[in-house]
Amino acid sequence: MDWADRHALEALIYLPMLTAAALILTPPGARRTIHTVGVGAGLLLLIGSVYVFWVFDHGAGAPTFQLVRVYPWLEQLGIDFRLGVDGVGALMVLLTGIVSFTAAIIATTAEREPKPYYTLLYLLIAGVYGTFVSIDLFFLFFFYELAVVPMYLLIAVWGSSSKFADFARTKEYGAMKLVLMLVAGSVLVWIAIIAIYVEAGIGSFDILALQAASHDGAFSAGFQRVVFPLAMIGFGVLAGLWPFHTWSPDGHVAAPTSVSMLHAGVLMKLGAFGIIRVGMTLLPSGMEDWALILFVLATANVIYGAVSAMAQTDLKYVVGYSSVSHMGYVLMGIATMDALGLTGATLQMFSHGVMTALFFAVVGVIYDRAHTRDTLALNGLASRMGVTTALFVIAGLTSLGLPGLSGFVSELLVFIGAFRTQPILGALGVVGAAITAVYVLRLIARVFFGPRSRDWNALPDISAKEGFAAAVLVVPIVLVGVYPQPFLRVIDSAVEPLLQPFGGA
Amino acid sequence: MEWAWLIPVFGFAAFGVIALGGNALPWRGRYLSILAIGAGFALFWFVLLDFIERGGGFHRFGVDWFETGGVTVAWGIIIDPLTVTMLALVTFVALAVQVYSLGYMAGDKRIGWYYAVHSLFAAAMLTLVLADNLLLLYFAWELVGLCSYLLIGFWHERRSAAEAAKKAFVTTRIGDVGLLIGIILLVVHTGTFDITEILARATNPAPGEELSNALITGTALLLFLGAMGKSAQFPLHVWLPDAMEGPSPVSALIHAATMVAAGVFLVARMLPLFEASGAALEVVAVVGLVTGLVGATLALTSTDLKRILAYSTMSHLGFMMLALGAGGFTAAIFHLVAHGLAKAMLFLGAGSVMHALDNETDIRKMGGLRRVMPMTALTFTIGAAALAGIPPLSAFWSKDEMLLAVHGGLHPIYLVLFLAAIGLSALYMARAVRLAFYGPLNDAARRAHESPRVMTLPMLLLASLTLVVGFLALPLGAGYEGIGTFLLQAGEKPHPFTLNAWLTAASVVLAVGAFAGGWRLYDKRADVVASARARFAALHRALERGYYLDAGYQWVIDKVVMRAGSAVALFDRRVVNDGGVNGPGEGTVFAGRQLRRHVTGLFADYGAAMALGVLGIGIFLWARSA
Repeated sequence: MDWADRHALEALIYLPMLTAAALILTPPGARRTIHTVGVGAGLLLLIGSVYVFWVFDHGAGAPTFQLVRVYPWLEQLGIDFRLGVDGVGALMVLLTGIVSFTAAIIATTAEREPKPYYTLLYLLIAGVYGTFVSIDLFFLFFFYELAVVPMYLLIAVWGSSSKFADFARTKEYGAMKLVLMLVAGSVLVWIAIIAIYVEAGIGSFDILALQAASHDGAFSAGFQRVVFPLAMIGFGVLAGLWPFHTWSPDGHVAAPTSVSMLHAGVLMKLGAFGIIRVGMTLLPSGMEDWALILFVLATANVIYGAVSAMAQTDLKYVVGYSSVSHMGYVLMGIATMDALGLTGATLQMFSHGVMTALFFAVVGVIYDRAHTRDTLALNGLASRMGVTTALFVIAGLTSLGLPGLSGFVSELLVFIGAFRTQPILGALGVVGAAITAVYVLRLIARVFFGPRSRDWNALPDISAKEGFAAAVLVVPIVLVGVYPQPFLRVIDSAVEPLLQPFGGA
Repeated sequence: MEWAWLIPVFGFAAFGVIALGGNALPWRGRYLSILAIGAGFALFWFVLLDFIERGGGFHRFGVDWFETGGVTVAWGIIIDPLTVTMLALVTFVALAVQVYSLGYMAGDKRIGWYYAVHSLFAAAMLTLVLADNLLLLYFAWELVGLCSYLLIGFWHERRSAAEAAKKAFVTTRIGDVGLLIGIILLVVHTGTFDITEILARATNPAPGEELSNALITGTALLLFLGAMGKSAQFPLHVWLPDAMEGPSPVSALIHAATMVAAGVFLVARMLPLFEASGAALEVVAVVGLVTGLVGATLALTSTDLKRILAYSTMSHLGFMMLALGAGGFTAAIFHLVAHGLAKAMLFLGAGSVMHALDNETDIRKMGGLRRVMPMTALTFTIGAAALAGIPPLSAFWSKDEMLLAVHGGLHPIYLVLFLAAIGLSALYMARAVRLAFYGPLNDAARRAHESPRVMTLPMLLLASLTLVVGFLALPLGAGYEGIGTFLLQAGEKPHPFTLNAWLTAASVVLAVGAFAGGWRLYDKRADVVASARARFAALHRALERGYYLDAGYQWVIDKVVMRAGSAVALFDRRVVNDGGVNGPGEGTVFAGRQLRRHVTGLFADYGAAMALGVLGIGIFLWARSA
């Protein structure tokens, strides 16, 4: 499969772009064709992603970055279209495939005007893949931006506005805030990238070359101390880093279901991925200087997100704040700079991506049928919507870290890493998991259990199509929870070189 | 013995098949579940015989589960006397409960799901007792919690059941925070999840590998926090009385063989760690004693049959912890078995009564039930008498062992209070039995009828075991010198049966006296009870409300936790979002508006500004030169 190996990564970028192009040419009325193309492309992407994960060689002596492909582009500036994945990237590719496919299925159920919707969705997906597989800083940033911009239209056009007891949130507000905050973060990232490019003085955006330069001492400690926080906060905004997280819950509440799935499922991971790929790889001493601050902010994410989630009465706000809390574990794991902690962080990126996509898919199913997400109005749904309830409970149990499901393995690794470095903050992390149990179980008891009011007597259960999408998401959750070894092996192969500058692990 | 790991696998498989196959299965899968636990019970006998043949000892088998960053986790099992004993208890009680459920749950529309979770419950508990490492143990520990959540909330349409299920999960989860932190600390400092290795490091370290005293005490206490949640130790016991919202057979399982046994098991398994730190052991003893007394007093005033039993469970779990705190490993586990068998039967009996009386649980509306339900009355009386400590029933013997342990290991004050609690247990048991089953037949109970044989048979089986299991304490010959020569920790010296005449006499007098006295009191002298209640009205009210603990926790949740949540959420919206995010945006717009004002387009304005500027520069230059 030499040919496939050579072209696998670029195919993952071209395919969604071509899908978007093909959709532009389709007549807008042809709903069926559009849905078929949309879901079919998603399936191809899933197959391609599984392939990349499958062929990734984690054996001893295998190169860190694999499936590498270089197309010269602007040689004067040292910009190449340079692709490759390490263990972290490979796992993120797999995650993107899973979430894209399921989001594409869910999108067939509700969205009006499917043609522009799918077009934008696939542009976004192309950007996500591009970021995960780029090993050229310029293209990494290019794709990073490409992933953010379609969000604006997807939310502002297809989203929904909400009114609450003491405040209101329009979809335009949610979309605008999301894009403005992310773009502000991008500005910081761009400054950091240019600074790195100039300071290295090798005239190249190649991450591996820059890494080598960094290793040879191209970046002074003072330089790193100043530039690292730009990358940390810039990417951190997208990862939901406290206190730059508020775009995320509001964005979720405004976004349509499939966009929420992609947004929390993969988009937020881009931020954490950026911190690893740019900050940690190129600016190791800056990372060391700022690790404690990142650690504290991440702990704030965990606790603050969980406590906020407790007080929410809208299903999407609950899940949105829980995402803020769970992304905290990712950032915490990165901040440990410990082998187990970083492995846990990466696995948590995957686990949270799948779990939160499942959460939003199920919330979407409920919203479609009940036309409300108000946890005070919904009750006793279990007796009408048995399968939906079971799926929500699985997602809930994953988020509270029940052993046997993916969240437990990743959080446990993060905790062990945290206890090796900052035991007090690590203990707060464990407390955060207990708070999660409180709000998740309260929510389940209120919404799904207890007597049912008459309004909900006619709610149909989840459809076969939606159920299939949800089942696709449940499989990796259980797989990672019961047998994490294949995933851990791939991550380990990346973690070791990542921690090299920090004196091994 | 190598095949012992299969015992829980049957249950996991049954759960998978029934949960996915659902109602499409023949008999909705209920016999499949019974078959699975039956197979486990049968396999237990092979393991036991093999174990005896190999002369006891300590055996381990396992395969690697996963490995990352230099930490390997095995999927391994321990076979030692503790595990074998627990296997016996869990498989047998689960089997009895599942057979009984055939009658009790007949006609329930979700019976398939009920049996699926039962299978998982037993499987999880069996994994817990087999586990050779803390991660696998924690895995099973949480699954046990999940299953009790699902079963307590089985009738989830009832608000109270949904709330009780949530309460059980959340309360035990608070303890689990401690457990998980304790496990992580042990792993971080020893580099392994392996229980045997960790205990070796704590008790008998190689030079240079010693763990600090603070670490040992700290982790032991954190593990104990987890055990307190699961085993309903004061003040984390509040979920247990509410857990009866589940179907009665579920209570039987939770109170005897699974959920609550897990905490006692954990402390027993990790006892060398506790013993390495005297302070931790002392805490276990104190908490156990307090729990024993609190549970017994609460059981004395409750009027709900299942609640009485629940508080009694709590009290007996306290006794077990007390015994463990005294270093009485054998005694505690022996009592766990004796109590488990008796308590399972009592709950099945209570279920039988509810079955007959339309789910009535108020003992004031019962009375004289023995006339209509003779079999239930007989078995219930045996169970109650056993737990009251009447010789020669099972719990009499195990209580004797515990008294010996407490006498040998702790300050005499513990012994005195323990004896007081024993007296109380006899008293409340006499009260419950007398009020529910004897005396004149209550009118409300006239329509009651005995339960079908599929229900009474398991009760009868458990009752007969309660009659005989205590004799395991005695030297029965053939090399068997009493429970103390079989049920041992690794490395502990066998201790053949001994009798402390004074202690035994005291406990017999107390138990029989209190039981008989209580009987007479509630039979003939209701006036004494009423006047005592009137005289200590405040105390009585406090007891009825469970010492106001529930109300206190509720207050903390409503007034502290939820308010904190709302405050943070409001802060997030008003300060972080409106101030931090909208603020700069609005600030920019405002600045733009302000700056726009000077663009008036009038020549006079510009001229005036220019003149002012020149004047200002002039003054500045003049001031500098001066």
